[in-house]
Amino acid sequence: MTYELRLPDIGEGVAEGEILKWMAKEGDTIREDQPILEVMTDKVNVQIPAPRSGRVDKILVKEGDIAQVGQVIMVIDDGSGGGSAPSVAPSAPTAAAATAATAAPPATPSQGVLATPATRRLARELGIDISMVKGSGPQGRVTDEDIRRSASGVRPGTAAVTVQAQKPARPGVGPMEELVPLRGVRKTISERMLRSLQTTAQVTHVDEVDMTELVLLREAFKGSAEKRGVRLTYMPFIIKALLPALKEFPYVNSSLDEQNGNIILKKYYNIGIATDTEQGLVVPVVKDADMKDIFELAGEIERLADKARKAQLTLDEVRGSTFTITNVGAIGGLFATPIVNVPEVAILGLHKIAKRPVVRDGKVEIRDTTYFSLSFDHRVIDGAYAARFTSRVIENIQDTKKLLSEVL
Amino acid sequence: MIEADVVVIGGGPGGYVCGIRAAQLGLKTVVVEADRLGGECVNYGCIPSKSLITVSKLVDKVKDAEKYGVRVSGVSVDFDQLQKWKSEVISKLVDGISLLLRGYKATVLIGQAEIAAKDRVLVETREGKEEIRCKNIVIATGTRTSGLPGLEFDGRLVIGSKEGLDLREAPNRLMIVGGGAIGLEFASMFQKLGSAITIVEIMDQLLPGSDLDLVRVVQRKLESRGAKIYLKSKVLRINKEGPAAEVEVETPEGKVTVEVDKVLVSVGRKPRTERMNLQGIGVQVDARGYIVTDNKMQTNVPGIYAIGDVRGPPLLAHKASKEGIVAAECIAGMPSAADWRAIPDAVFCDPEVATVGLTEAKATEQGYRVKRSRFQFGALGRALTAGEPDGFVKVISNEEDGLVLGVQIVGPEASDLISEAALAMEMGATVEDIALTIHPHPTLPEALMEASELASGRPIHQLKA
Repeated sequence: MTYELRLPDIGEGVAEGEILKWMAKEGDTIREDQPILEVMTDKVNVQIPAPRSGRVDKILVKEGDIAQVGQVIMVIDDGSGGGSAPSVAPSAPTAAAATAATAAPPATPSQGVLATPATRRLARELGIDISMVKGSGPQGRVTDEDIRRSASGVRPGTAAVTVQAQKPARPGVGPMEELVPLRGVRKTISERMLRSLQTTAQVTHVDEVDMTELVLLREAFKGSAEKRGVRLTYMPFIIKALLPALKEFPYVNSSLDEQNGNIILKKYYNIGIATDTEQGLVVPVVKDADMKDIFELAGEIERLADKARKAQLTLDEVRGSTFTITNVGAIGGLFATPIVNVPEVAILGLHKIAKRPVVRDGKVEIRDTTYFSLSFDHRVIDGAYAARFTSRVIENIQDTKKLLSEVL
Repeated sequence: MIEADVVVIGGGPGGYVCGIRAAQLGLKTVVVEADRLGGECVNYGCIPSKSLITVSKLVDKVKDAEKYGVRVSGVSVDFDQLQKWKSEVISKLVDGISLLLRGYKATVLIGQAEIAAKDRVLVETREGKEEIRCKNIVIATGTRTSGLPGLEFDGRLVIGSKEGLDLREAPNRLMIVGGGAIGLEFASMFQKLGSAITIVEIMDQLLPGSDLDLVRVVQRKLESRGAKIYLKSKVLRINKEGPAAEVEVETPEGKVTVEVDKVLVSVGRKPRTERMNLQGIGVQVDARGYIVTDNKMQTNVPGIYAIGDVRGPPLLAHKASKEGIVAAECIAGMPSAADWRAIPDAVFCDPEVATVGLTEAKATEQGYRVKRSRFQFGALGRALTAGEPDGFVKVISNEEDGLVLGVQIVGPEASDLISEAALAMEMGATVEDIALTIHPHPTLPEALMEASELASGRPIHQLKA
């Protein structure tokens, strides 16, 4: 019996994905749950396991092409003979090496989707898998309108992108130009950055930080951290210095619900860490940072950064941040003005730590200093509030006694 | 040699409907029928049995007429006339089917078909062998009655349903082996025509698989009129030496010997696929020999489709017809599929039993919070004025949102009443939808409305549970 593998609903409103890599080719024998393909969505890359064992009969979408959720991408012959089984989307994919499920499988109650027979036929005629359509009617029933909307939403997109992918040298591209389709992570970044600047009123506040004591402190504890199997960077210290400030200045850890005219103050602290990867910027999230000690933070940051570089983050690991930190220090520069990671209202930029002349008690001293830049949404936070917040973070960092207590 | 896009093998309710639809869609279509168009349903099943059942009910009403103040005397059944009328009904339908097929330019061949290859069908007609080259084959050959070892049909004392419908008199004493749908229809019918009925059923209930509360109403009626029903019982042997049959039955209470004039065996049916060369062309069948297809009716062999009984239970004409439409449309390249939510079922015993969707047990098993609401026909004006107060309508709904999950009816015209419930299920209606729909008064469908009103918590003609 043949079985149609459809691109499953990966969740979080992901509607399409680029087929990055097939891990099986036509004719191959595969077993259930073996990863068979890697898909890049606009959020993360996920590996999709084989829904059942059998032989790969046909691969319908080439590597590099975009597939829509619900589209048949592979036909598997499970060797049982008989006709093709009604195609069903496999249950949620498991992202590579991840335990956290990224999305629930679409609900398929035994009574099927709530829709009239005529609507069900319309869906078939338009090539829409009705079980993938969100119904707008009472009790979630799917209407003709829902089907038509779904049909018009899906088709043009697919066609356009596929054409681009297949013909890199199409008219409009000069001989000395290369066409790189805007896709996946890059596409998300471009959309999110534009949205951030278009929908918020951003200001950047910069201050100077004396890191001398912290540098010494980190040096002192690097060894004991290594014994625990973690690499101690400045990041866990900075998060530790940040958290009391976030609690004291709750508007920095908030978001603006424009539609209902509310500011939502968040009493949980999920810190996004902007991470540079080959595909572009991704922001894994350290969940409930305030519940973790400094070594746990260090371990979690290391784990997430590693997964980010291997493109193995799950959706769960890249969503839900309430405040973001971006560190460009390793690369250099004086300071930058980061863009707020909406719907958050502020982002903290960390920069290179360097020995600089500093005036202390009327004398010039050489100290380890850096700059913190806080970009914030002026709709929610005023300049004075942001400056006070930043000062408090810096105070906490320079208060080594307090930080020391975190390490001990 | 004939060339065709589609050859439909079997002209029953699946095959002829498939043929009409295929021809309508511009496919060059050949329908091959070995016997008579209309198949088992029109010729030897639904239609003749319903003719006889109608007459048996009429006889019964007349005999009972005094209760309503009508004096009748000397009621008797002229079986020759009855059979003649029945045959006329059948002929009318068969002719109609033939007319439709030809009208839509489908070719009809009467003869035995044999699949020679995936694209070649041989038909043995009265005029000789005909070869058809075809792109698609639809197997719609249905099922045939299966007998019981030791209780082989002899056309005299031991008969099947087909012979049972051609009887020229009501047997004085009739034993029915198998208390399923067909057995019960015969039991109710011949009981009304004057036979003393004995039913032998191997399972622990009549209509195995149906809810007991429905079955009980039918059983009570049969027994109140003198039927003897042996459950968990089986026929051990039959002595056919005398003019009547002596049947030894093993019952939970011990062996009994029953003397009867006829034994009607209705223990099930089996797929009719001998000449379909299924192995040769590699068509997959299940453990019982039924052909396996997907929801487009396509078998594992591209171009070979199967519809109706030959795909397996439920063995229902109306299901076969819908499958025939799906197969024809898929062959024509349309995105058709069997995606119905429920297949209604009707048994024409007395009172009738009709069901659609999930039973209470099935719905609970599937994780619904089940609400069961019943309305007795005894409280319904139309049922009383029709002299048919037995039975009830039972609505199974989802407690949470009132979605209709299933409806079971035992009572007058249950077979007619079930269609409204089937529509409700296909439309995804709630009990509230049915309750708020005006039903004309006084009619039997009000019972479904009343049960739905109870289900939505606003009953009028019954007290809240």
